[in-house]
Amino acid sequence: MTERLLEVKDLRIEIDTRRGPATIVDGINLHVDAGETLGIVGESGCGKSLTMLSLLRLLPNKIRVAGGSAAFQGSDLLKLSPRELRETRGGKIGFVFQDPMTSLNPVMRIGDQLSEPLIHHRGMSKADARKRAGELLRLVGIPGAEARLDAYPHELSGGMRQRVMIGIGLACEPDLLIADEPTTALDVTIQAQIVDLVKDLRKRLGMSVVWITHDLALIAGLADRICVLYAGTVVEDAPAEQLFAGPAHPYTRGLLASIPRMGGAETERLASIGGTPPEPGRRPPGCPFAPRCALAEDICRQVVPKLASMQGGSAAHRVACHVTSRALEAA
Amino acid sequence: MTSVPLSAPLPEDPPVSLWRDAWQRLVRNKLAVVGLAMVLILAFAAAFGPMLTPYDFLSQDLDARNLAPSLTHLFGTDDLGRDVFSRVLYGSRTAFLVAVVVTAIAVLIGTTLGAIAGFFGGFADRLIMWFTDMTMSVPNLLLVVVINASLKTPLSQWMEAQYLATLNPIFRETVWIDFILVFGSMALISWPPYARLVRAQVLSIRSRPYITAARALGLTNRIILTRYVVPNAIGPLIVSVSAGLGTAMVLESAFSFLGVGVNPPTPSWGNMISDGLRVWQHYPHLLAAPAIVLGLATVAFSFLGDGLNDALNPRGSK
Repeated sequence: MTERLLEVKDLRIEIDTRRGPATIVDGINLHVDAGETLGIVGESGCGKSLTMLSLLRLLPNKIRVAGGSAAFQGSDLLKLSPRELRETRGGKIGFVFQDPMTSLNPVMRIGDQLSEPLIHHRGMSKADARKRAGELLRLVGIPGAEARLDAYPHELSGGMRQRVMIGIGLACEPDLLIADEPTTALDVTIQAQIVDLVKDLRKRLGMSVVWITHDLALIAGLADRICVLYAGTVVEDAPAEQLFAGPAHPYTRGLLASIPRMGGAETERLASIGGTPPEPGRRPPGCPFAPRCALAEDICRQVVPKLASMQGGSAAHRVACHVTSRALEAA
Repeated sequence: MTSVPLSAPLPEDPPVSLWRDAWQRLVRNKLAVVGLAMVLILAFAAAFGPMLTPYDFLSQDLDARNLAPSLTHLFGTDDLGRDVFSRVLYGSRTAFLVAVVVTAIAVLIGTTLGAIAGFFGGFADRLIMWFTDMTMSVPNLLLVVVINASLKTPLSQWMEAQYLATLNPIFRETVWIDFILVFGSMALISWPPYARLVRAQVLSIRSRPYITAARALGLTNRIILTRYVVPNAIGPLIVSVSAGLGTAMVLESAFSFLGVGVNPPTPSWGNMISDGLRVWQHYPHLLAAPAIVLGLATVAFSFLGDGLNDALNPRGSK
């Protein structure tokens, strides 16, 4: 059995509203093994970014962790002292953000931004850090790496900036790299380059990666395992091939069906899932997906389904659905 | 290589830094260049003024009192026969010193308090802003007069006692009292606008993604504040400082006029205006010379401030 690097249990995140606290993330369970790439998929607002931000306590104002734990290398991330937290951020867990255009300090040369974590986590001298910064730029495939150290962020294109962000995230060789929709703001061709870059770096550096995205097709070739999030809960958790081969949750099936395919009739409408996710604070009593689900039965509207291995299926393939897990059982 | 392939990278533009970019926009602005030139002339006069005239600003020539401007005395002489041009030049030194020192202290206090208030929010913010508002609510002149009136005598007595005890000539220089009291009290009333400006800037910068990214790197609050927040907040501050330098000069003149500024015989434009005002019907040049120079200095700083504003806010310009 492979080593667990991160294990999140029953994580709950709440937001303060005028009508009192509302639950955004409702009991998420997920884990990342050493060396594994986990894809977290879900539509906007399903809590995928908040889950990851909460691990490093980077949640915005008024949003807070209401319960749960996150074991990482023997300690609970949610209970670290400020000092341990600082050492973990950037040192053991690297974070790459969504928008490379605004996530770099506009008035600081990129060489200095790359050096920052090295100086503060590794205690490197400025000269050493600068040398290492040049190596990092080469590592993330920036042409003329060393010559770019004195560039300001606005002199680089979006793809180059995202490479720099990844370089900063990797500077201290973290055990875990969390990438929060790192390609959303980029062109499709650049997206592919960034995906390839992360794949390649993971192989070389042997770290684990959590890749957050709303684009199933994008992570098909990248992730070992995929967690599908819906309205702040994990609805399906399966090895990537199994998920694509036999999606079990109606929501996952809907997501897969809505990927446009080459070769279809031009007049064919794209499949979509009717309705919208529940607002925080107005969650249905049973399965959060029940109001939009074609297969919903009475039990779905009353009892929250638990994430469980499908009977007769692989133990690694877990789904939170009353109907489909039973159907598979019967089959 | 014999031929250049089509895919050869174009010759790169030299990297344009934010500041160089701003500088280029600044020098394209005629008014700003005029302002900058005037400020530089003023700075030159402040630095080398006393070497530019044959007269000492203190030497009296009682045979040549109240002379009208002429080639020997460019701006004429005053009621003690002192050369007005020399005094205006020396006054620029006083004005510059006051403006720079007062603004520097005010900016230091204002930036520190404003940045802390904006970045940490909560109780620190409320406390600092309460203090700022309180300072702003006291009438400026009143505060300065009170400080000068109440502290001047004890301070000079203390200096006198120190001199008698140590015989160190430093304590003989009453000019220090002026500087400490005038600079101190002016800085005390000048910092609140800077604190407010910086706080507002920091509030908007605090929520930008690169600040979250810096936190995610495990940087300490101090580093985030000094290397990420403040440098990004500094553009509007520079503009405000440039205008503030002019304001400080006017403020010093106003205080000198009221007798709470720099003390005679040190020439300051304010006390020259004050003296000139008593006799302006007979010797208008005694009022005109310092007043016009003060006016020009203020205009210069305000031109420069406007130019900097346009240069540092690319979105605000056409």
